[in-house]
Amino acid sequence: MDQLNQWLAGLLEGNVIFTPQTLGYYWTGLVTTSQLVFLSLIIGLVLAVPLAIGRSSRHRWVSLPIYVYTYVFRGTPLLIQLYIIYYGVVFVEGIQDSMFWPILKEAFYPALIAFTLNTAAYTTEIFRGAIKATPRGEIEAARAYGMSQSLTMRRIVLPSAFRRALPAYGNEVIFMLHASAIASVVTLMDLTGAARFVYARFYAPFEAFIFVAAIYLCLTFAILYLFRYLEKRLLAHLKPLGGN
Amino acid sequence: MADTQIPLEVRNIKKRFGDTEVLKGLSLKANKGDVITLIGASGSGKSTFLRCMNLLEQPDEGDLIVHGEEIRFKQTRHGREPADWKQVVSMRAKLSMVFQSFNLWAHMTLLENIIEAPVHVLGKPKKEAVEQARALLERVGLTARADAYPAQMSGGQQQRGAIARALAMDPEVMLFDEPTSALDPELVGDVLKVMRDLAEEGRTMVVVTHEMGFARDVSSQVVYLHQGVIEEAGAPQDVLVHPSSPRLQQFLAPKY
Amino acid sequence: MLDLQGYGPRLLEGAGVTLQLAVLSLALAVLLGLLTASAKMSRSWLLHRTATLYTTVIRGVPDLVLMMLLFFGGQMGLNLFTDMLYDQFGVDWFFNLNAFVAGVITIGFIFGAYMGETFRGAFMAVDEGQIEAAKAYGMGSWLLFRRIRFPLMMRHALPGLSNNWMVLLKTTALVSVIGLTDMVRVAAEASRATHEPFTFLIPVAAIYLLIASVSEWIFARLQKRYDVGFGEH
Repeated sequence: MDQLNQWLAGLLEGNVIFTPQTLGYYWTGLVTTSQLVFLSLIIGLVLAVPLAIGRSSRHRWVSLPIYVYTYVFRGTPLLIQLYIIYYGVVFVEGIQDSMFWPILKEAFYPALIAFTLNTAAYTTEIFRGAIKATPRGEIEAARAYGMSQSLTMRRIVLPSAFRRALPAYGNEVIFMLHASAIASVVTLMDLTGAARFVYARFYAPFEAFIFVAAIYLCLTFAILYLFRYLEKRLLAHLKPLGGN
Repeated sequence: MADTQIPLEVRNIKKRFGDTEVLKGLSLKANKGDVITLIGASGSGKSTFLRCMNLLEQPDEGDLIVHGEEIRFKQTRHGREPADWKQVVSMRAKLSMVFQSFNLWAHMTLLENIIEAPVHVLGKPKKEAVEQARALLERVGLTARADAYPAQMSGGQQQRGAIARALAMDPEVMLFDEPTSALDPELVGDVLKVMRDLAEEGRTMVVVTHEMGFARDVSSQVVYLHQGVIEEAGAPQDVLVHPSSPRLQQFLAPKY
Repeated sequence: MLDLQGYGPRLLEGAGVTLQLAVLSLALAVLLGLLTASAKMSRSWLLHRTATLYTTVIRGVPDLVLMMLLFFGGQMGLNLFTDMLYDQFGVDWFFNLNAFVAGVITIGFIFGAYMGETFRGAFMAVDEGQIEAAKAYGMGSWLLFRRIRFPLMMRHALPGLSNNWMVLLKTTALVSVIGLTDMVRVAAEASRATHEPFTFLIPVAAIYLLIASVSEWIFARLQKRYDVGFGEH
């Protein structure tokens, strides 16, 4: 550890902006951004599965409210959603006396809620599209073999829909990473927040923002390659064998 | 009381799509070991009739009796529906269907396709289902393709795989919906051979087909449908060799 | 009834800013997108590489970071440039980067990258035979582009274009962060001042939905127009 610190200090010698201290800010920012994005994606994904099934329902009283939800959250800027939750949470009746207040009064959780609701809306529509694209014949075969509706959903429709949704979901993950930059607007010290801090302190826009842009670019590529790998593994069944 | 020895009986099936009546009261009885072929021009209703037999289409009228058990229906505002879906599910598990477009599940390997319904519908132990599936794959000549995905197989292989999937249910009756129509001509022979073998071992089958050779050689009964009505039915030599109805004569003429 | 506590006119003004910003950025993005698509399809190695670098980097970095880089960095770059002018040539000229102009340039620049991908796909979907026919009838390259290639391409580009526009519209909200008084900024200010966030933020959200719905309708009409002659589908 000492060696690493020395090496780093040597590397940064004569550099006014990228001191170990500012790099520390970026590191904290990276951790915050990762937590926000990862948690909102996971919770959003879990919410999106039942919502997508409901959205595909034939009963309008099930599908319509879900449609309204996705329409509103996909049709308005995430920044507005964040503001509404961040400024609005105080006004929920009795919330300041509830056990959740210590959690909610920090900016992290309103941001997490806004991001989760937003990604759940997009993911719901992605899954719905994938569910709708299930070949009719495959569902018919399942029914002809005595599968009930729920068994067909669980064994046939969802597993193949998840795979079909993979490329679009990969885009959604990247979109969420980029969208999370607005967390800095509600005072959160995420990656962008760190860059803004460094910019304000040293009045060095190029250094501060190009450095953070490079970090985002690396993260984007990492996600891209992860999904390309997953697609290769999970979508193999859709490609005919080469040279057949 | 219904006869429990008869695997499948349908009586007076009627079905309409909008204003057109496509099935005008059709009846059919499959005794054990029967191979019944349904022939007719496209649009004659033969596929719809077959699909009514396992309720992939809901008939507007008529009775359906599987192994002595009559399917109960009720009237809803959407039309007639089965009164008890559990009954339908267990009925469907006794009949298994082979489709024109195979309809193998694309996200599963061939072996997984075959064990899917036995394990999850019939509740068979997985190990047993896999053993049975391997034996069936050998029968249809696909041992080497067990781990292939449907998209990686030729149409003929997919259809033979689909037949193995149907057999894995130990069905009372097998329903074939134009099983060779989507295949390239050179692949038809392999599939027909598997079907002939099944007929010879005494399987009860209802087959919708355009293959007149198969109908003539294999079936115990040929049913000719025309515009939703059974125009002629009987032993293949009577129906196919000495057709009495002029329409059937015309239907058969260009093919011979 | 909704009481906007005197913020009504400013909100309306902000909505105007949002719309102008969105439309001007779209125009710039379409222009850049067409250039990028042409560069990507060109035989020149340099053009191709530059365009690829542009689309890759832009699509890999958050809009907000790019916006801050261009806005804050752009101002600094301009200052350096004008300083240099003064030092070297004694030209005393100062240019203050206006937040609106910076917003249009940034958003246009960002969405130019997305439009580039959309147009490239659309150009490649055009049937080459019809282009050859136009050449055979002696059309020059500009006439061919304007009369044949562009209308044919638009049919394939419209779905992507419409999608990009919807995302662009929502992205305009970010300019409130770099100091432009669009309707989001007015609403956020009003929320803080009056402690009534819902009164201002929900109507603004509704305006976004309204603009989105109207655009959806317009794009559907446009699609119909460019689909002429291609039958129903």
